[in-house]
Amino acid sequence: MNWLSDNVNRLALLGAAAILIIVIGVAAKYFKQIKEGKSEGVLKEETWDGIGEYKNNSPIGWSLAFMGTIIWGAWYWLVGYPLNAYSQIGEYNEEVAAYNAKFESKWANPSKEDLLGMGEGVFLVQCSPCHGIDATGIEGKAQDLTHRLLKNEVLSVIQKGSGALGNPNGQFGYPLGMMPPGLLSGADAEAVAEYVANGFKGNDKGAQLFQSTCASCHGPDGRGQNGMAPNLREYDDAIIKHVLEHGKHGIIGHMPSFKGRLTPVQEKAVATYIRSLKEGA
Amino acid sequence: MFSWLERNPFFFAVGVFIVIAFAGLIEIVPDFAQQSRPVAGAKPYTLLQLAGRQVYIKESCNACHSQLIRPFKSETDRYGMYSLNGEYAYDRPFLWGSKRTGPDLHRVGNYRTSDWHANHFWDPPAIVPGSIMPAYRHLYKNVTDLETAYAEALTVKKVFNVPYDKDIDGDGKVDVPLGTFEQAKKQALQDALKVAEETKRKDLVDMVKQGKIPEVVALIAYLNRLK
Repeated sequence: MNWLSDNVNRLALLGAAAILIIVIGVAAKYFKQIKEGKSEGVLKEETWDGIGEYKNNSPIGWSLAFMGTIIWGAWYWLVGYPLNAYSQIGEYNEEVAAYNAKFESKWANPSKEDLLGMGEGVFLVQCSPCHGIDATGIEGKAQDLTHRLLKNEVLSVIQKGSGALGNPNGQFGYPLGMMPPGLLSGADAEAVAEYVANGFKGNDKGAQLFQSTCASCHGPDGRGQNGMAPNLREYDDAIIKHVLEHGKHGIIGHMPSFKGRLTPVQEKAVATYIRSLKEGA
Repeated sequence: MFSWLERNPFFFAVGVFIVIAFAGLIEIVPDFAQQSRPVAGAKPYTLLQLAGRQVYIKESCNACHSQLIRPFKSETDRYGMYSLNGEYAYDRPFLWGSKRTGPDLHRVGNYRTSDWHANHFWDPPAIVPGSIMPAYRHLYKNVTDLETAYAEALTVKKVFNVPYDKDIDGDGKVDVPLGTFEQAKKQALQDALKVAEETKRKDLVDMVKQGKIPEVVALIAYLNRLK
């Protein structure tokens, strides 16, 4: 009798016995009623082909349930359905609102590590299909984000001006406006392009030309004078945010806009992550 | 009348059916008619896009890619705004798909570009590491069947009154011209040249300039249209 040591088995056995006893008891009651019971009550006057019917009041529980159903029906028609109806889009909106609220409170003051982790996640999902998981642009098919600018990109902008990149007011709409084409040419342009692409190192001729020609807008250090012109040293938050929101027509091709797809924190995170990719950073 | 119905069970059943169906009719049909109207700004496919759509069907893209973004945060984060009924108004047949081996494509035109597609169809794993999508290099050689696409466009224009050659948004200009086959073909070649130049592949541009549209160009035009 090992199985009886199990509580569940004992309970089940007890239950089975209870059911058996109740069934036998109830069956016996009705058998007795059939044998000995006599009809009671007052007959109605009408008969139907000789078959009569007793006058019975409705059972109280049945009557209450009936009235309750009428009241519930009125409520459902007038209030329940019109005001509380289920909607899939409504559930979606609630889900998004709840998520956004949680996201904002959780990442109100993100640390640099938070931003880096978040940026990497966003980058892998949204950016890596074109820029590659190592961000080098899949052999020239998109911008190489491990470098701020490549030599051919600088050369192209010097030759064609920033207006050629799409927006007639210059690519990014900086306060200092469009960069005109042909500020430098030939070997001078080459020297500056090399200097800028090389991370503002080496190449004295390029450094001198940069100070005399480019620095008036981009600043002597090439950082764009706090947002007056593009920062040529690194991808700052402003340029990443702008490209994400407006897309970009560069010499490589067309980058679509990601407007509305990322929150401000996520945009900042992407910028932080991209800066961390810079070689030697 | 009711005693007559009680003696004729068949007609009684018909009556019951009508009474019950009426509820369904007044609840379902008006909403359905409203929701299946084209959303504001929806336009029919141009000839080139329609030809690309036929390539999409021919290559069974819908076996691995859906075109239906459900209203879940996880999906709208990845693919964009959830899909609306009226966006499929000009889809015959719709290409919702039932399996997502690859990503949803209903708004792929928002976040991929012609040159990306041209690189990707040529060698998907080189662009998306780990992708199991096969290469579709035959699309770069096969010539698009514009005749069939034109036949489809003309049929839906005449039979279903799809608004080709009409001013849809009320700015006084024809939004999606179709015209005769020659006119439509000329327009398709112009559209194709633009897409081919965006892909930055000389072979595609050359083919379009010779009057032959590679299937991949039509397909990219269709994918760019999915927004």
